[in-house]
Amino acid sequence: MSLRDLLTENHRHCDDLFAEAEMAAGKGRVDTALAAFSGFAEATLAHFSAEELTLFPAFEAQTGMTMGPTQVMRMEHEQMRSLIQDAVDALKQGNTEDFLGISETLLIMMQQHNMKEENVLYPMCDQHLSAEVSSLLARIGSALHQA
Amino acid sequence: MQALLSFDKSPPLSAPLRFFLTAPVFAMLAGILLLVDGPEVLASRWSPLTLAATHLFTLGFMLQVMLGALIQVLPVVAGANLAHPARIASGVHATLTLGTLVLVWAFLFPAPGLLHLAATLLGLAILVFLLTAGRAVFAVPTTSPTIRGLKLAFAGLAMTAGLGVLLALALGSGWSLSLLDWVDLHATWGLGGWSAVLLMTLAYVVVPMFQLTPAYRVRASVWMPVSLALSAAVWTLAVLAQLPWLSGLAAWVMALAGLAFAGMTLVLQRQRRRARPDATLAYWQVACMASAVGLVLWRLSGFALVEDWSPLPLLIGVLIMMGGYGGFITGMLYKIVPFLGWLHLQNLAGPGKPVPAMNKLLSEAAMRGQQRLFFAAFALLTAACVWPEWLARPAGLAFLLAHAALLVNLLKAVRAYRACRASLGQAA
Repeated sequence: MSLRDLLTENHRHCDDLFAEAEMAAGKGRVDTALAAFSGFAEATLAHFSAEELTLFPAFEAQTGMTMGPTQVMRMEHEQMRSLIQDAVDALKQGNTEDFLGISETLLIMMQQHNMKEENVLYPMCDQHLSAEVSSLLARIGSALHQA
Repeated sequence: MQALLSFDKSPPLSAPLRFFLTAPVFAMLAGILLLVDGPEVLASRWSPLTLAATHLFTLGFMLQVMLGALIQVLPVVAGANLAHPARIASGVHATLTLGTLVLVWAFLFPAPGLLHLAATLLGLAILVFLLTAGRAVFAVPTTSPTIRGLKLAFAGLAMTAGLGVLLALALGSGWSLSLLDWVDLHATWGLGGWSAVLLMTLAYVVVPMFQLTPAYRVRASVWMPVSLALSAAVWTLAVLAQLPWLSGLAAWVMALAGLAFAGMTLVLQRQRRRARPDATLAYWQVACMASAVGLVLWRLSGFALVEDWSPLPLLIGVLIMMGGYGGFITGMLYKIVPFLGWLHLQNLAGPGKPVPAMNKLLSEAAMRGQQRLFFAAFALLTAACVWPEWLARPAGLAFLLAHAALLVNLLKAVRAYRACRASLGQAA
C-alpha cells in the first residue's frame, strides 16, 4: 500500500460520513444530523492531524520545502476547521438551512483540497519518502484508526 | 514544483469572472437576433443569420465560459500553472470578444475584409490561449484520464480554430472549397473533438465532487474522449480523401461515445448521496437527455424517412448546443462562481473569520427561477425549429430573458462578494 492509497481511502470514508449527515439534515432530522456530522468532524480532524503532525513534517524534512505545498494544505485545513465549526453551530441552533449552505461550501472546499492532495501531494510524498513509507503508513494508520 | 499548490499564481477573481459575465451578454444578443429577425434565423442551417446566431452562442457563450473556467481550474485539476494568468485572461478575453463581434457583424453585414479581420482576431485569441494554457498542460506528465483528456481537448480546440480561420478566409476571399464538407468538419471538431472532450474530462472531476456520486469507470473514462478525438481525426482524413462512408463511420463512433457519456452520467447521478437535488443537478440531467436525443436524431438524419424533413438540422443543433452545452455550462457556472467568491473572501479574511457561505452569495431560489426561464426558452426554441413562423420570436424573447436572468444572478453573486470584501476591508 502507498501513502496515496491509505489517505485517499480515508478521504472517501470522510465523504461517506459527510453524506450521511447531510442526508439527515436534508430530511430535517437535526439530532441524527448532529450525531452523524460529529462522526464526520472527528474523522476529518483526525485526518488533518495525522497529516500535520506526521506526514507533512516528514515531507518537509526530506525535501526542505517548508513554505511549499504543505503550507497551503495547512491553510486549507484551517479554513475547513472553521467551516466545520460553523456547520456544528448551525445544527446546534437547529438551523438546517444554514447548515446545508455551509456544508455545500465545505463539500466543494474539501473536494478540491482532496483532489490536490491525491493528485499532487501524496504522489510526491510516496516518491520522496520511499525509504520510510512503511513506518509512516503504520503511524498514520494507527492515528486514523483511533478516530 | 514549489508553486504547484500555492495561491501565488492562482488567478485573481477578475480573470475568470470577466469571461463568465460576458458570456450571458452574447447569449442575450443571440436572443435579440432571433426576436428581431424571427423565422428567418431558423430558415436553414446555411443562412448568414443562422451562422451569426450560432456563433454568438458557440464563441460568445460557450467558448467564453470554457476558456475562463480553464484558466481557473488548470492548476487544481492538472497541476498546470499559467505564467501570467491575469494578463493572459485580459488579453484573450478582449481579443475573443472583439473577434466574435466582428465575425457576427461580417455574417450580418458583409463587407470586404471583415471576415479576414474576424479570422485574425479569433485566431490570435485562441493561439495565445493555446501557447500559454496549452503549453502548461502539455508540460505535465499524463498521469490521469483528466490530464489526457485536457491534452486531447486542446488539440481539438486547435483544429476547430484552424478550420474556422480557414473557412472565414475561404468565404472572405472567394476560394473554391467544398464548403459543406469543411463546415461539417469544423462543427465536428468544435462540438465533438473540443467541447465534448473537455466536458467529459471535467465531468470526471466535477460530477463526483458536486453530487457525491461514484466515480466514472476508469476504462470508460479513457475510451470515451479518446474515441471522440480519434473519430474527429478519421473524419478529417475522410474529408481530405473524399470518402463519405468513412466520415459516416466516424460519426457513428462519435454519437455512441456521446450517448455512453450521457447515459453513464445520468446513472451516476441517480446514485448520488447528496441530500437535495439542486439547480446544477437539474441542469445536467436535462442537458444529458437533450444531447442524447440530439445525437440520436443526428444519426437518424441520414435515413430516407427523415432525411427530407427540413427542420431536422436546426433541431439537432438546438438540442445539442442549447439544451446540452447551454445546460451543462450554466449548471457549472452556478457552482463555480459562488465557490470562487467564497474562496477569495476566505483568503482575504484569513482562517477563523466568518465569511458568507455559497448560498448567501447566490441563493438556490434565484438559480431555480432562472432555470425555469431557461427550460421554457429551450422548449420554445425546440418547437420553433418545427414551427418557426409562430414560435421563432417568442423563443427569441424567452432566450433573451433566460440569459438576462443568468447575468442578473451572476451580478448578484458579484455584488454580494464585493459588499463582503468591503466590510472585511473596513474591519482590517
